[in-house]
Amino acid sequence: MLVSSHIIGVVMKKIIFTIFISLLILSSCSKKENTELKISTNPWIGYAPLFYAKEMGYLETLNISLIHNISLSESTKLYSIGKVDMIAATQHEYFALKEIGEDIVPIALLDRSDGGDIVLSNKSIDQLKNADQIFAYLEIDSINIDIIKDFIKHHKLDMNKIEFINADQVQITELKTSKNKNMLIVTYVPYNYNLEENGFIQLASTKDLNQIIVIDAILVNKKILITHRDKLQEFKSIINKSIYEITKNKQASYKLVKKYLDNMPYKEYEESFDLIKWENIPSKEILDKLKNISYESKYLIK
Amino acid sequence: MIKKLSIKSFTIISMFLIFISSGYLFYQSFLDTKNNTRVLLEENIQFNILNTKYYLEKNLNIENPNRIKPYLNNIVYTNDIIKAMTILDTKNNIIYQTTLSDDFKHDHTNCIGMSHIIDSNIFKQRCYTFSIKFFNKLEPYYYHGIIELDSNYLNMFVKNKIIKYFSFFIIYIITIMITLWLIINKVIIHPLEKLRQYAYYSTKIPRPFFINEIEGIRYSLEFTFKRLKKEQDELFNLSTRDPLSGLYNRLSLIERINWLISKGKRAKNNFAVLFLDLDNFKNINDSYGHNFGDIVLQHISEVLLNVVRDNDIVARLGGDEFVVVLTDVKNDKEILSVLKRIKIELSLPVTYEQYTYNASCSIGISLYPKDGNNVTDLLKNADIAMYKAKDLGKNDFQFFEQTLQEEIQERMKIQALMIDGLENHYFELYYQPKVDIRTNKIVACEALVRLIDPKTGIISPDKFITIAEENNFIIPLGDWIIEQATNQLRIWSNTALKDIKLSINISIVQLNNNAKLFETIKYNIKDLDVSKLDIELTESVLIKDFDEKLKIIHKLKELGLSISLDDFGTGYSSLSYLKTIPFDTIKIDKSFIDDFENSQDRSFINMIVAIANELNIEVVAEGVENKKQLEFLKDIKCQQYQGYLCSKPLPIHKFEKLFLNQV
Repeated sequence: MLVSSHIIGVVMKKIIFTIFISLLILSSCSKKENTELKISTNPWIGYAPLFYAKEMGYLETLNISLIHNISLSESTKLYSIGKVDMIAATQHEYFALKEIGEDIVPIALLDRSDGGDIVLSNKSIDQLKNADQIFAYLEIDSINIDIIKDFIKHHKLDMNKIEFINADQVQITELKTSKNKNMLIVTYVPYNYNLEENGFIQLASTKDLNQIIVIDAILVNKKILITHRDKLQEFKSIINKSIYEITKNKQASYKLVKKYLDNMPYKEYEESFDLIKWENIPSKEILDKLKNISYESKYLIK
Repeated sequence: MIKKLSIKSFTIISMFLIFISSGYLFYQSFLDTKNNTRVLLEENIQFNILNTKYYLEKNLNIENPNRIKPYLNNIVYTNDIIKAMTILDTKNNIIYQTTLSDDFKHDHTNCIGMSHIIDSNIFKQRCYTFSIKFFNKLEPYYYHGIIELDSNYLNMFVKNKIIKYFSFFIIYIITIMITLWLIINKVIIHPLEKLRQYAYYSTKIPRPFFINEIEGIRYSLEFTFKRLKKEQDELFNLSTRDPLSGLYNRLSLIERINWLISKGKRAKNNFAVLFLDLDNFKNINDSYGHNFGDIVLQHISEVLLNVVRDNDIVARLGGDEFVVVLTDVKNDKEILSVLKRIKIELSLPVTYEQYTYNASCSIGISLYPKDGNNVTDLLKNADIAMYKAKDLGKNDFQFFEQTLQEEIQERMKIQALMIDGLENHYFELYYQPKVDIRTNKIVACEALVRLIDPKTGIISPDKFITIAEENNFIIPLGDWIIEQATNQLRIWSNTALKDIKLSINISIVQLNNNAKLFETIKYNIKDLDVSKLDIELTESVLIKDFDEKLKIIHKLKELGLSISLDDFGTGYSSLSYLKTIPFDTIKIDKSFIDDFENSQDRSFINMIVAIANELNIEVVAEGVENKKQLEFLKDIKCQQYQGYLCSKPLPIHKFEKLFLNQV
């Protein structure tokens, strides 16, 4: 009986140990080791490095996925309801999100629009100046608003004559020229190509509008930055690497990213690069400009 | 000390641990489900808010806000978790409120923004807010929406989940516990209890068990118990049986006789104890070796087993001693029948290799309760009777009688006296004169040993010499006699008795140990006139190993001793002895002298004296008690006589006095 009691004691200890270990394993299973981070994007040549990195599998290794939207406005909404962790957006979205209380910071600059944001019209500047009524089509809650403001100011147009029509870029792309209608459109690459084919002419772009800077960056909640600093550091390296590879071999990158850019022709793709400046390694000049518009740059990953 | 724990307690503890762990897992599962549900509900809310926000930003006409009412009502009514919705303009004026929530106050200070829905706990949150962005030209302005959650619905939802999970958990755990308990009870506890009982009582072998390890233990126990039983039986046989014959040993015999006595006391049953001792068995071992001796013993065992009934007892006490107990004996006739069968069966020869042996035995019989009411007395008395049978010539049986007991007691008393006799001077040499018939002068004497009991006086040599021969005491006693006799001769050598010839008797036992005898005599006759020492031998000592005996006689003769043949005419008298052995004297046995008036005896005496004279051997007539006998002996020219006519054996001082008086 003594021996059997001893055996039972030993078995008991083993069972308790096994249960303990099982519970430990079960509880540890509930925690994710490598949390997925989602980044919201939309068709913009400046975001091509992100598309390229995804297609090359660079993002997969970091467990970062892309959510592709029609417009920045959609991206912002997704971010605001917590559906994505990061957003590729301009300073407009940055300030808009800050305004509604989001603790968001830019961690990596991507590009600066250097002609990529465009003002189109079916009329000339002079015709518009003399027009009684102008219909301005734009994504009001986007950088478009800053561009058109700058355009109006620069060309001294009468704000009261302009009727602002809020539309997303898909709706804008479908616009046709009308002789009886003075139309003003704010869009960006690659949506401009359809519009230009439809007869709209370019009146201005960010290349001409020196008063305004349009900077694209990866914005992220400060908590995410703290929690995933190492991952984001690697993400920044991937961005640098992708920009380098894209610019070095545009032909190859085109094949990978064209589907994210509404299947734009290669020629337009190649020309698009002339409309932006890569700012992944920002110059002092650009940083000063950002400072002037109160754009936080201290969290930028080097 | 190891703390003991029963399987049941162990199982209960295990089940408790399973209960705890299952409870934990269920709780975790519940939390997980609750969390998933929370996320789904929050996503539902998010979806609705997003759609509402999008719808309002695109469709809210500030001048006619009622247009949005159907849409918003639809959102609220079709969603169980939304209790009410309120839309406030930039000045916090209500432009829409769900009609159902009349009591709802649009205090949204505790509401959280829609961007934090995912981080919130919908089950604890009362409401969410969202902004609706409008532009006046290019300047933005905001309305606010408040969505109030139906806390009753959410609480009920959680409550239902808890009840559902708890009920499922209880049913699950009870089912598991009962099933587990039944299984463990069936395949572990019950088999282990059976094993425990088997290990404790080792009687009924349990049937094979389902659990391999337990079955292994059962098989090992069964195997071990079988082996132990076998060893136990072997040990029992070893302790109760004689290994050579397979018969009961002394211990078992005593046990069984005790049982018979107990039974006999109740049922008034009688039984007989037969004590058997093989005759001359020692000679078998000495002559044919112990292997043959063992074969004979096994044969005897078989014979005894065959002749008795099944309920009789046969035992071997050791050596060549056997005991047969005849149970339920009604009369002596039954015993005699068995004795007869034993004798017939034993008389058949035993053959082994080239040897053949005809066994015989002496049997002593004691009867319960007549000859003893305990095992010791019964065995002792049967033994006494057996010795009596041996004394009476062997190959016979003897019933115990009380007189035998007295004989034995007498014998034991003599044995005890003899053991200390030499040291305590209980022995003394008496001297009986031998008289020259012609001169009527004492010319010789025979030294005769006497045992003197300090209490009762002289004990006859007939009583103690036989005992001394049986227990070999005759050897030291014989040495003492030789020493005493030779010393006496030395004493006499310077006295008037210097010409007296002294005879001493040598026993068969001494003669069998001839080397020692020779050395003893040789040692004691140093510086002695050996012609004065005579050795008397009886005819019986010469029967066995004659050649050996003849050698020692010749050696004694070579020492210068004379040899007398004692008790001539009795026993195995053979004239060839006179031819072969160089006797100096023959002594005619007293029985012839007693009956000398019988013509036949007179003829024998005449013939003996004539032969002796012819062979130049001296003749001494023993037991001469009257003058008529003496006259007859004188007439036939017999040289010497010995007997009460002259003197009975005398102590030394009386003998010397007798001799000196005649001088």
